[in-house]
Amino acid sequence: MATFILFESASGYGLFEMIQSEDIGSSLDEVRKSVLELNRFSKIVKLKAFMPFTSAENALENINAITEGEMTPLLKEFLEQNLKTGKKKKSKDDKKKKNKGPKLMVVDKKLGNMIKEVLDIKVISNEKAEELLRGIRLFFHNFIDKLGPEDVHQTQLALSHSYSRCKVKFNVHRVDMMII
Amino acid sequence: MDMGQSVYGEKRIAVEDEKVGKIEYRVWNPFRSKLAAAVLGGIGEIYIQPGSKLLYLGAASGTTVSHCSDIVGPEGAVYAVEFAPRPGRDLVNVAKRRTNIIPIVEDARHPLKYRQLVSMVDVVFADVAQPDQARIVGHNARYFLKSGGFFCISIKANCIDSTLPANIVFANEVKVLQGMGFKPKEQVTLEPYERDHAVVCGVYRA
Repeated sequence: MATFILFESASGYGLFEMIQSEDIGSSLDEVRKSVLELNRFSKIVKLKAFMPFTSAENALENINAITEGEMTPLLKEFLEQNLKTGKKKKSKDDKKKKNKGPKLMVVDKKLGNMIKEVLDIKVISNEKAEELLRGIRLFFHNFIDKLGPEDVHQTQLALSHSYSRCKVKFNVHRVDMMII
Repeated sequence: MDMGQSVYGEKRIAVEDEKVGKIEYRVWNPFRSKLAAAVLGGIGEIYIQPGSKLLYLGAASGTTVSHCSDIVGPEGAVYAVEFAPRPGRDLVNVAKRRTNIIPIVEDARHPLKYRQLVSMVDVVFADVAQPDQARIVGHNARYFLKSGGFFCISIKANCIDSTLPANIVFANEVKVLQGMGFKPKEQVTLEPYERDHAVVCGVYRA
């Protein structure tokens, strides 16, 4: 069955589908080689869906959850929408069919476990997922039409400032108290 | 990137050029910046150049980061990671004036925590001064450094093992790096600017 990859970016969640999962599944070196060039890589992986964050606050809320390995309502909705077929099969409670449901590659094991528990999807987080995500990270703006490299930079910039400001405020306060 | 401003009280030199108008240079102090010390110490290539994307681990208050920001220019980006909140606050303030710096106040030991904020980068520079720094750099490179990308690591011998002579510590660290897909090409010590420091540069997965 289809294997999907979850990619978390500063602009939103991306879900990628693996096209030739069986052919290159065998060796890690093969995967490594194939993520180097866009035209080879785009034959292996294609964009299934993309869910942009609706606002800066929305993005901040999501990154705060992601860093703690938690799932936000937005991510849950996004995955449910796009991996729906798998859910139905599972409701029939047929173990054989369960194995044929969609698989999701998540780079963060903690988040992966969370998704597995809540959505009952098969989750993989291994080195192959890491390698594929290297490729997605490299060519991300090529997969999404309306997103240029500058846009990626801008969203990263905005999100990093709000995220770091939060961290600094949160922690510095505590340190300041100790000095007083 | 940010004319007319000193980040940490460094001197600025303005030059009038007929073709391009006013250019401003900032003095880069090798006693305050290990990267500058490495350049003066004779390292051939730091790989950070105009347009580069740089992941900077151990950014501290953003002094060296501000020089990197000048080097990579508006086309490049510096992802500056610093965990301690106090220097982190200064870093955020430096980044406010320089839009190519992406400040990340987070632990470099957990690169996954900031995976949403970082693209694939051309160069990783690390000055984290932790006993397990090679591992930290390896971890970050696995997620964010392009294959064929470059790395520069500043190693402080005392921070890794203060009981061994510095050159043995350096040799051990180089071995650890090699085990993680790094190919070190150059190594310089930072005498006379720092004691028992070395900067190692090389290429990743190539």
